[in-house]
Amino acid sequence: MAATVASQPRSSKTESYIDNKRKEDIRHANIVAARAVADAVRTSLGPKGMDKMISTASGEIIITNDGATILNKMEVLQPAAKMLVELSKAQDSAAGDGTTTVVVIAGALLKQCLLLLSHGIHPTVISDSLHKASVKAVDVLTAMSVPVELSDRDSLNKSASTSLNSKVVSQYSTLLAPLAVDAVLSVVDPAKPNMVDLRDVKIVKKLGGTVDDTELVKGLVFDKKVRHAAGGPTRVENSKIAVIQFQISPPKTDIEQSILVNDYTQMDRILKEERNYILGMIKKIKATGCNVLLIQKSILRDAVTDLSLHYLAKAKILVIKDVERDEIEFITKTLNCLPIANIEHFRAEKLGYADLVEEVSLGDGKIVKITGIKDMGRTTTVLVRGSNQLVLDEAERSLHDALCVVRCLVGKRFLIAGGGAPEIELSRQLGAWAKVLHGMEGYCVRSFAEALEVIPYTLSENAGLNPITIVTELRNRHAQGEINSGINVRKGQITNILEENVVQPLLVSTSAITLATECVRMILKIDDIVTVR
Amino acid sequence: MAIDRIFKDEASEEKGERARMASFVGAMAIADLVKTTLGPKGMDKILQSTGRGQSVTVTNDGATILKSLHIDNPAAKVLVDISKVQDDEVGDGTTSVVVLAGELLREAEKLVAAKIHPMTIISGFRMAAECARDALLHKVVDNKADAEEFKSDLMKIAMTTLSSKILSQDKEHFAQLAVDAVMRLKGSTNLEAIQIIKKPGGSLKDSFLDEGFILDKKIGLGQPKRIEDAKILVANTAMDTDKVKIYGARVRVDSMSKVAEIEGAEKEKMREKVQKIMAHGINCFVNRQLIYNFPEELFADAGILAIEHADFDGIERLALVTGGEIASTFDNPESVKIGRCKLIEEIMIGEDKLIHFSGVEFGHACTIVLRGASHHVLDEAERSLHDALCVLSQTVNDSRVLFGGGWPEMVMAKEVDELAKKTPGKKSHAIEAFSRALLAIPTTIADNAGLDSAELISQLRAEHHKEGCTAGIDVISGSVGDMSQLGISESFKVKQAVLLSATEAAEMILRVDEIITCAPRRREDRM
Repeated sequence: MAATVASQPRSSKTESYIDNKRKEDIRHANIVAARAVADAVRTSLGPKGMDKMISTASGEIIITNDGATILNKMEVLQPAAKMLVELSKAQDSAAGDGTTTVVVIAGALLKQCLLLLSHGIHPTVISDSLHKASVKAVDVLTAMSVPVELSDRDSLNKSASTSLNSKVVSQYSTLLAPLAVDAVLSVVDPAKPNMVDLRDVKIVKKLGGTVDDTELVKGLVFDKKVRHAAGGPTRVENSKIAVIQFQISPPKTDIEQSILVNDYTQMDRILKEERNYILGMIKKIKATGCNVLLIQKSILRDAVTDLSLHYLAKAKILVIKDVERDEIEFITKTLNCLPIANIEHFRAEKLGYADLVEEVSLGDGKIVKITGIKDMGRTTTVLVRGSNQLVLDEAERSLHDALCVVRCLVGKRFLIAGGGAPEIELSRQLGAWAKVLHGMEGYCVRSFAEALEVIPYTLSENAGLNPITIVTELRNRHAQGEINSGINVRKGQITNILEENVVQPLLVSTSAITLATECVRMILKIDDIVTVR
Repeated sequence: MAIDRIFKDEASEEKGERARMASFVGAMAIADLVKTTLGPKGMDKILQSTGRGQSVTVTNDGATILKSLHIDNPAAKVLVDISKVQDDEVGDGTTSVVVLAGELLREAEKLVAAKIHPMTIISGFRMAAECARDALLHKVVDNKADAEEFKSDLMKIAMTTLSSKILSQDKEHFAQLAVDAVMRLKGSTNLEAIQIIKKPGGSLKDSFLDEGFILDKKIGLGQPKRIEDAKILVANTAMDTDKVKIYGARVRVDSMSKVAEIEGAEKEKMREKVQKIMAHGINCFVNRQLIYNFPEELFADAGILAIEHADFDGIERLALVTGGEIASTFDNPESVKIGRCKLIEEIMIGEDKLIHFSGVEFGHACTIVLRGASHHVLDEAERSLHDALCVLSQTVNDSRVLFGGGWPEMVMAKEVDELAKKTPGKKSHAIEAFSRALLAIPTTIADNAGLDSAELISQLRAEHHKEGCTAGIDVISGSVGDMSQLGISESFKVKQAVLLSATEAAEMILRVDEIITCAPRRREDRM
């Protein structure tokens, strides 16, 4: 009995939705608030999108084009608006790029939902239809995608530069894109070819120079000065590096201690003992042949004192102090050495080897580079330069996006066209699909299809083109079967976007659609805001 | 002469009709609040915290909503309590119980207005509840004997529970997860052995069940990442420094070398401690507290896997599943029970590395890893899955099963109606009222789905007039459907708990004829 009922087209009478005023108001308020958030980031979409200047409560100023960063810094209070912020964060962690896209899509979907609700369609019906549409959309996208090999550096470069093109640093995309590709590929573990841990790529920012000077360092970079007393080395070739977790300073017990000095001679003796103690440690270190020391930061006592620095300089040992504890793993992995927690355990087999450790002057500061590491682990370091703090920060964020894009491709090796092509194609195919569906569902899927046109529309609007002309022409082209036509923002017209090298990973598009739908469905299903403890 | 000061200042007293009114209104307000979350098409609520951080929760779970409310009305508090008890006892039906109690009170209010004494109403309600329970008992299906049937019953129950939650789209997947997890328990209701780990990223479909135990921690530096036939010592001890914990204790020395000696002695003490731990013949050491660099290195040198900072919950569970016990002194290696498992290895979930203990002593243990887009989704998914697990583990013990979709309420309503006709006296009004209150549940389910409830309920009632009917509301197609074909089932235990505790709560509130609010305790002005 039920089976026959289900297959019949539904009568609209039974799905009509009458609710009381308050619940309608809450849903309305939620949608309006969420859309306001979406509108705020809309103009930053695409290669010609604008940037936002954010002045934080602490007086810091950030200029960015990255959706996730903008939303993160906007201190929204309305719960539904907060969900959109969360949405962009989720996209950031899932795909790393497309954080603006996902919010814009969610905004457009909500706009359509408002319309559907005003027709009296039940929110759960809308929600279920949206889910179906998004599943279908992912299928369509997968069908459109082109497989890519990791050996195909050209394609990887292209997709990284597509991501970079919409950023402040777009003019450097020719430099940064290959850099991002190199960085990611160098940390891919052959044993687990689908996994990339971006924590293995360390980004070190240093003010000064221009973005042009950004480089990939096969080795380690510390944004720190070498600690040395007069005469200490700042450059060591054929270095033997020890990562130590103890301090080269006078002894200190865990229990509170005090030394009683009764007379003058005792003072002398204490000074001498201190000297001997430190000298003893340094001798032990020197005995293993170690000539570079990385000292972990300790809050309890000084890493080095003037006295120990003096002796270390004499022993020609280069010292870098205040290495954070959470960096130790990265460092030991890179140097292929083991951390040493006690002077008694200082043995030669725990050391790492590198061809060169040197202090380099950069801008107004100095950095320490370790290169030519023997048996280097699968890590890499990118040294980002920029003429001012704002550019530097934005360059780092853009580079992070580019790295994520490449990571996506390593995980899921499919590319898809950019420039609004996938969205308009989705819109077309879902629109056609909506026509064969019955009842409310067809209606909702059609709205979903319409909502997706927001991406090409916004792209062209932000590029100063006439959005209506562009979108309609795009639709026309796609109807004729040119599924890869997209908006070429540089030329201001519609071309085959694959030939223009505007490509992005499939994962970015699919996760944008699924996450946006999930979030919209959640907002739709809310009918009350309850204040609780 | 009137005595006008029995109570303290600011204490208030409400009597008779007024008191009853206040409790009715409060209870019904609470019931109405959660009413819209009932059923597969129920809506969600945003819970906005007024505390620091203004955190936001989105939920559909009645108990979660009620638990976090600010409530001043005493009757409303009673309803919150029954929902909590329902949550603890059976895990599901937390919304139903409140809605039913609310409806009972709504009916009772009308009867009281018609000058029927509350005690009469109560005795009528009692008879009705008894009768309704018997009606259900007659209709239950018990498939315990047939393992296959029983498993499919469990699947159905899990799907029914999950269909009203956020997991509804992937309910088959999660129902399978929940059933597998509960079947592993082999009848025990110890849900502690099922661990739920939430990892943002991926989609809900990527969630999976893994045998063994997963600890969200890192393995220390330079230590083996994979151990077979692990012997695990679970401990709660300080591994940074063992210091004298008396305030003001200090060492007085007169030379630097003495300080160095003491420092050396401290190190030596730690080394001894580590050696004592190693003397247990272990190759994995899990500590609740920090393991500092020095002991970490000692462990690494000995090839022992050391895990620091495992949270309290983590080590208790680890001790449970590996069959070890938590140690804090290490002088008697013989007396400490050491946990065992076949394999410890590092695994990657999403972007994070976790430690997986497989082949553990306590074979029931398993871990469900939930993946989802955001923390909101994950938290809600965890709550939903928890409900399903609770219900399932209850059902494994009490395998009696009923149909869902408003079917049990219809059956009960019919029987109670019959009873009303047979019962002479004023009580029959109360019994009739009870039957109307029962009908409120299918009505609410239909209303929430945007269906024409009046039409559907009358159709349903007509169907139920026939003997052996299995009709209920099919929310998906929006009509009356056959529950046995649609595979919508509920646990008898849940339904029984809903019925009995709702009746009890209603009875309790009905008995009230005076509310005394004590004067709030004054806070002394210390300023």
